Amino acid sequence: MDVPVRSDGENRGMIKFAKVNKWFGDLHVLRDIDLHVCTGEVMVICGPSGSGKSTLIRCINRLEEIQQGELVVDNMKVHDRTVNMTELRAEIGFVFQQFNLYPHMTALENVTLAPIKVRKMPKAEAEKLGRQILERVGLGNKADAHPAQLSGGQQQRVAIARGLCMRPKIMLFDEPTSALDPEMIKEVLDVMRDLAREGMTMIVVTHEMGFAKEVCHRIVFMDEGQIVEVSSPNDFFAQPRTDRAKTFLSKVLVH
Amino acid sequence: MLKFFNFRVILEYMPLYMKCLWATIWLSGLSILGALIVGTIACAMRLSRSRSFTGIAGCYIESIRSTPLLAQIYFLYFGLPSLGIRISEEITGVAALTLNSGAYMAEIIRAGVLSISQGQIEAGIATGLSYSMRMRYIVLPQAIGATIPPLLGQAIVLVKDSALLSLISIAELTRAGQVMTSERFMPAEAFLTTAVLYLLIYYVLKWLSEWWQKRLIFRETS
Amino acid sequence: MWGFYLKGLVASVPFFLKGLWMTVAVSGLSLVIGTIIGFIWGIIRVSRIRFLPTIIGAWVDVIRGTPFLVQIFIVFFIFPELGIHLEAFPAAVLALTNLAACFICEIVAGGILAVPRGQREAATASGLSDFHQMTHVILPQAMRIILPPLVGQYVLLIKDSSVVSAIGVTDVTRVGWLTVQRIPEGLMVFGLVGILYFVICYPLIRVSNTLEKRMTVAATRL
Repeated sequence: MDVPVRSDGENRGMIKFAKVNKWFGDLHVLRDIDLHVCTGEVMVICGPSGSGKSTLIRCINRLEEIQQGELVVDNMKVHDRTVNMTELRAEIGFVFQQFNLYPHMTALENVTLAPIKVRKMPKAEAEKLGRQILERVGLGNKADAHPAQLSGGQQQRVAIARGLCMRPKIMLFDEPTSALDPEMIKEVLDVMRDLAREGMTMIVVTHEMGFAKEVCHRIVFMDEGQIVEVSSPNDFFAQPRTDRAKTFLSKVLVH
Repeated sequence: MLKFFNFRVILEYMPLYMKCLWATIWLSGLSILGALIVGTIACAMRLSRSRSFTGIAGCYIESIRSTPLLAQIYFLYFGLPSLGIRISEEITGVAALTLNSGAYMAEIIRAGVLSISQGQIEAGIATGLSYSMRMRYIVLPQAIGATIPPLLGQAIVLVKDSALLSLISIAELTRAGQVMTSERFMPAEAFLTTAVLYLLIYYVLKWLSEWWQKRLIFRETS
Repeated sequence: MWGFYLKGLVASVPFFLKGLWMTVAVSGLSLVIGTIIGFIWGIIRVSRIRFLPTIIGAWVDVIRGTPFLVQIFIVFFIFPELGIHLEAFPAAVLALTNLAACFICEIVAGGILAVPRGQREAATASGLSDFHQMTHVILPQAMRIILPPLVGQYVLLIKDSSVVSAIGVTDVTRVGWLTVQRIPEGLMVFGLVGILYFVICYPLIRVSNTLEKRMTVAATRL
């Protein structure tokens, strides 16, 4: 995919990490992170486990807090503790590895809860939107099912729909397919691929290199809390610049 | 109110409180031991193959659990004399506490024994261990270790339950408070002192339970 | 002799039924109010509010570490010293409500903490406020975990209500105590008392067990 033309001076959907550091107690999990994500860009973050990639994207909507540095998302200073995150979180959709659907609600109720309570949408309007988006992820006929009645792949697609119903500017994915049985990975990646082609700003933490090659604009390789390499997918897979990246790729691509 | 709190009178009654604190401790202690014995027997009966044993134990446990301790105490206190059994209040009290806690202990021990996974027992059978050997080396050591915290919890409950013995004129901690109240008309000093002394026992037992649980964790990881 | 006592006992049945009604009244009132307060305290306990969780925690610990009998005596005897004159019934309800609230608080807090962390994160990530998170996502799921021990706690509180007989409230236990003064057949009198409590408590215990089984099945299905 071509790198999107960066709009002049327009900062909508832009994410900027500047010298960000984070510790869990004594453990230094994010080291001097400098990263810039443009509107409409699809970015994949990969790396060995413990490299800090999940922590990185969880900082974007302040599910984790940073101790040092600046993090600006859509012109809001996330690193500033006094800033209220509710508004910004409504603009960011987050898809978890463990889906985290509300088990006591139907799929429709899951996706319409936030629009009704946070965006104050009237129930009828929210339900219409909800059914539309569930249709879009291929689950229009499952709107009244409970998560327990859905397969893992279906649940994750509902989770994506839940994020999309808020009409976000950014979608974050934290290893969305890692908890799925292999036969269900494709249906979720298909939805994500469509989203990417429609121009959604996406950051995806994943091991699915096929997806990365096909759809993303840039790949970020992280190891031990640092960003080691940032390049286009073609460059990254053909000619990784650093040794650490080479070692990682050799392990991941073999199977 | 603290200005009028008469610490001197409390000091005056301290000997009585100490005597009664000791009474509470040994009454509870005796009852816990008795309850362990009764509980183990009842548990063994519950888990046995004999229908009548299971039935008797079941009736015993369900009756105790569905009726208040105070009613059980009065049952023995007023009931035993009518059967011609004349025993001191202390023994009646200990008997009531023993039978009451015994039922709860039985359930605790049962949970501990059942928590040993079937797989381990099968491994024991497969390696040729007899029933008593499996009990001795596999089941009981683990069951006892896991059972200690809830048992200590039941001990805490039993110490609090022992307060009811004051209602059948046994000289224990709560009774000390009642005596001081009736003699000096100072319920605040009397019962707050009682409460503080019970809290002392409570925190000691709680600390013991936490210490044991930490020991368990170390054991498991080694 | 026996026939005479039995006739006396049968004649006392209306008295016992009045006592039963008093037990139901005291317990019922305390359980209802105690549940409401217990839920509020429990939610505060696990919230991020600043001082309240610690204060509530300390209070709950004190209540759980002292005998209920002592607590009732404190309410009944010490409040008049502070200028609040309470009759036996209100004092009993006050003390039992407080007891209920403290135990229910811990059950509710435990239930809320048992809801998987991911649920809270998903709700936070969608921008839901703490209030909406609690009412729509956390509490509904916590209720499934809270219900079985809550019903179990109700049984315990109904049994604890027997202690209010010590300050003269005419509940089933006190009726038994008064009756046995006239009819010195402790076994019959307190046998009847036991049966009356059994009739209330045993069904509730069964409900609690069924709820617990259903909850474990549902959890494994999820």
